[in-house]
Amino acid sequence: MKVFTLKDRFGLDRFFLGERRLDDKPLILNQRRIFILPTQRGFGFALLIVLLALIAFVYNNNLAYMLAFLLASIFFITILHTYKSLAGLTIQEGATVAAFAGESAGFGVYIDNPTSIERQHIQLKMKTVENFNLQMHTKTQLTLYEPTQKRGWHPAGKVTVSSTYPLGLFRAWSPIRFNAKALVYPKPVDQKIPFPESGATQNQQGQFKKGGDEFYDLQGYKAGDPIKHLHWKAYARGLGLFSKQYGAENSAEIWLDYGHTSGQSLEERLSYLCRWVVDAEQAGLSYGFVMPGLRLEPGNGSAHYRRCLEALASF
Amino acid sequence: MLMAMTLNPAHNKNILIFLLTSIGLIVLPHVYHLQPALFGFFCVLLAWRFMGIWKPERLPKGPALLLLTLCGLIILYTQQRGIMGRDGGTSLFVIALGLKLMEIKSERDLYLVNYLAFVVAASQFLYEQSILMAAYILFVCCVLLATLVFINSYVAQTSTSLKKATLIIAQAIPMAIAVFILFPRVEAPKWLLFDDDRQNKMGLSDSMEPGSITDLGGSDELVFRVKFTGTIPPPHLRYWRGPVLTHTDGKKWTQASNLTQQSVLAQPVFSGTPYQYTLLMEPQNKNWVFGLDMPAKFSQSVRQNANYQLVTTDDLKQRTEYPLTSYASYNTGAITENEIQQARHLPAAPTYRLKQLVSQLHGFDNAPEDFIKHLLNHFRQEDFHYTLTPPLMEENPVETFLFETRYGFCSHYASAFVTLMRVANVPARVVTGYQGGELNPVGNFLEIRQAQAHAWAEVWLDKKGWVRVDPTAAIAPERIEKNIDINRLAANGLINYVNPSETAQAAFLWLQKTRQLWRNVDYNWQRWVINYNSVNQAGFLSSFGIADFKAMVYWMGIIIAIITAILSAFLFYQKPKSVDRTLLVYNRFLKKLAKVGLSKKAGEGARDFAERVKANIPEQASSIEQITVAFIDLRYGRKPTMEGLKRLSSLISGFKVSANSIN
Repeated sequence: MKVFTLKDRFGLDRFFLGERRLDDKPLILNQRRIFILPTQRGFGFALLIVLLALIAFVYNNNLAYMLAFLLASIFFITILHTYKSLAGLTIQEGATVAAFAGESAGFGVYIDNPTSIERQHIQLKMKTVENFNLQMHTKTQLTLYEPTQKRGWHPAGKVTVSSTYPLGLFRAWSPIRFNAKALVYPKPVDQKIPFPESGATQNQQGQFKKGGDEFYDLQGYKAGDPIKHLHWKAYARGLGLFSKQYGAENSAEIWLDYGHTSGQSLEERLSYLCRWVVDAEQAGLSYGFVMPGLRLEPGNGSAHYRRCLEALASF
Repeated sequence: MLMAMTLNPAHNKNILIFLLTSIGLIVLPHVYHLQPALFGFFCVLLAWRFMGIWKPERLPKGPALLLLTLCGLIILYTQQRGIMGRDGGTSLFVIALGLKLMEIKSERDLYLVNYLAFVVAASQFLYEQSILMAAYILFVCCVLLATLVFINSYVAQTSTSLKKATLIIAQAIPMAIAVFILFPRVEAPKWLLFDDDRQNKMGLSDSMEPGSITDLGGSDELVFRVKFTGTIPPPHLRYWRGPVLTHTDGKKWTQASNLTQQSVLAQPVFSGTPYQYTLLMEPQNKNWVFGLDMPAKFSQSVRQNANYQLVTTDDLKQRTEYPLTSYASYNTGAITENEIQQARHLPAAPTYRLKQLVSQLHGFDNAPEDFIKHLLNHFRQEDFHYTLTPPLMEENPVETFLFETRYGFCSHYASAFVTLMRVANVPARVVTGYQGGELNPVGNFLEIRQAQAHAWAEVWLDKKGWVRVDPTAAIAPERIEKNIDINRLAANGLINYVNPSETAQAAFLWLQKTRQLWRNVDYNWQRWVINYNSVNQAGFLSSFGIADFKAMVYWMGIIIAIITAILSAFLFYQKPKSVDRTLLVYNRFLKKLAKVGLSKKAGEGARDFAERVKANIPEQASSIEQITVAFIDLRYGRKPTMEGLKRLSSLISGFKVSANSIN
């Protein structure tokens, strides 16, 4: 494990950008990681104390002095209380939630309270903010979402754990730079486009299946297919014509090939391909996936789907 | 009352109810200090805002709000004529608070209102500094802080917010006290003090007009307290000297007009026991210091005028302390001819009735001492009465009193006595001040209240100087001798001259004791808290060796650091989990065995280890078994209990093993 150097420890970027994580071990919030500064309201409170002290001074009034000193002590003690609302918590990165470009990617965070102090009103902030309480000896998992724009790996960036409890005079916070990256898939094109016809006809390498009349698979419509085998639902969704393959019929898959996309640029073509993948998965088709340097045998289900989308995202 | 604070806290009903209630509580005691119109205006605003919690559409907006603000300003101007000084400032803050209430839109406004409320709370102390007021304000501060906790909670609960606020205040108090004691006090320069007219304090005035008073209200208000070092003078010597009234126009008695120019021929000669004491004056608007008759030594800030009255240059609007020494027996010596003339002066030639009375009492043919004796006897034997509610005597009050009504209080007796003395050509004058003082046995100090205001006479006798004669003592000796505040008791109807039953007496005694205890607490509060100033501070701190400004700041830092350390330890101390404690106890068992060479291997279960140890020490098998069973039960059982832990602990403590018992 790498040890913090002095530069790491006192570097300003720890304050502004958050602490860089060196490993995935849970991070304990302690005096080295928690910053505390008065809030705007805290400065207002300090001003109030000064005003009270002034009144006490002008009128030589000891109880007014006492009130001013009491508020000053409260101000001071609130530092401890605010620190206490974060101290001892451990933060760990959780799983990420991939998203299509333009949507929000999710970053899982585990917050554990191993102490016997109940935590009130903790705020976890990325782009979105989560507020929560944490009972003693409990762990909670949250997912923070961040909007994405570009396809590819989206780094989590800075996550700030903060609290102004109990009085709102001070804010204790701990900025942490997460290592997690969420995968951002290309944005599927908006309009529905028909599947590549050729993909269905060119590759007739499906196996011969035996069986009764049971529905087996979907295949692109070929002239001569019985009309009652047409998959009307898919047609209605604008997915094109499909024939349901029954029983002993030779099932053929569609192939979604990068080479068949009609876009101008790379991103555009990826968007088309992405649309196909999404639609094919939704329609429950068996689809093969071809990209330069990658060829995935036809299949479906979430694992296959994800492999296709990951390939698209990281292309 | 659970709710998540997802909405703007400024629209949260509970927060508003909380805040408005605490504001009502804060402003409430000002009902005694503020102009009725001003207080009424504030009440209207508060009530309006309260209604607005449920009907926010009824709150004033735009022009209506402007109109209200204008209203507030007009009230402020017409009622107060300015915003400077105590009353003006307080009114300003109260009105500002009321108007701000109408415009709570965001969390920021809630904070602002809260802070304003703290300022109004502080302004209460400018009017009253009693313990009760301090406790009340402390309570309201708890509620105000709880509002802040409420705002900052995710799931807000009234009780937890209050608890948290109380906890924070309780933790802040020790530090506040330390700062209070050590924070270097600097008295504000005089020009900074706003000149507020004190509310007309009842008290002695520099004149006396007995005939025009029909009801001497016995006020319970404290005037000063006296703490004696050493003996306390007996009740009949407790005369606290105030203004001396030499001049009279027949009705009204006043101080000699040329008092300041009078020269003193001889300094008084003192004898007998000296009484050393500290006088703690309550705020008053005259610069008189009521020394015990006759003051001999006094501090720098006090001087004695030609009538032996103590006056001071200090601002008596503040509570002030004076260390004094007095002697009960004294001889003032010779006085100037001018003074003698003044003390014999009568506004008009005495009437026939007066002369006849004086000659009947041997005023013209006997020595003054005999005349005094006869006169006092006359008061005693004739049909004279002591009353606090005498009839009105507008014309010729002395003669009316002496020959017709014969009902009066100290002023009547003193003025009549002095007049008769003067008729007999004996120099005499009226002395006003206080007489008596209730001893607080708990704190061992005397309390002198307004009701104990008194007037007596002084007669100048050759070779003796000014001699005190109290004609009231002749007619109502219990007022002087028994130190019972008969005035007050009679006025309050507490005296009815019927023997009270024993239980009533016991109850009365108990009541008296509680009252004395309370007054002692109050005295110390006044002395150590309210009256703690730069002089007191220097005196108090120097007894700890903290002499200068630097040392004060230094020690303040140290004490704050210590308190912070203690507090942090308290706040961050983690109770070890019960499971951990079980392990800790079990480790003691393992240690004992490790000493004799039997250590538990990593990954070896407690059960397997026990079997191995039992094989090695068969004679201890049963206790090893007991310990292991107890441990497994605690560690993996359903409900670990404290009793179970204690049992395991005692079992392990009793477990003894020696090296030679091992097979």
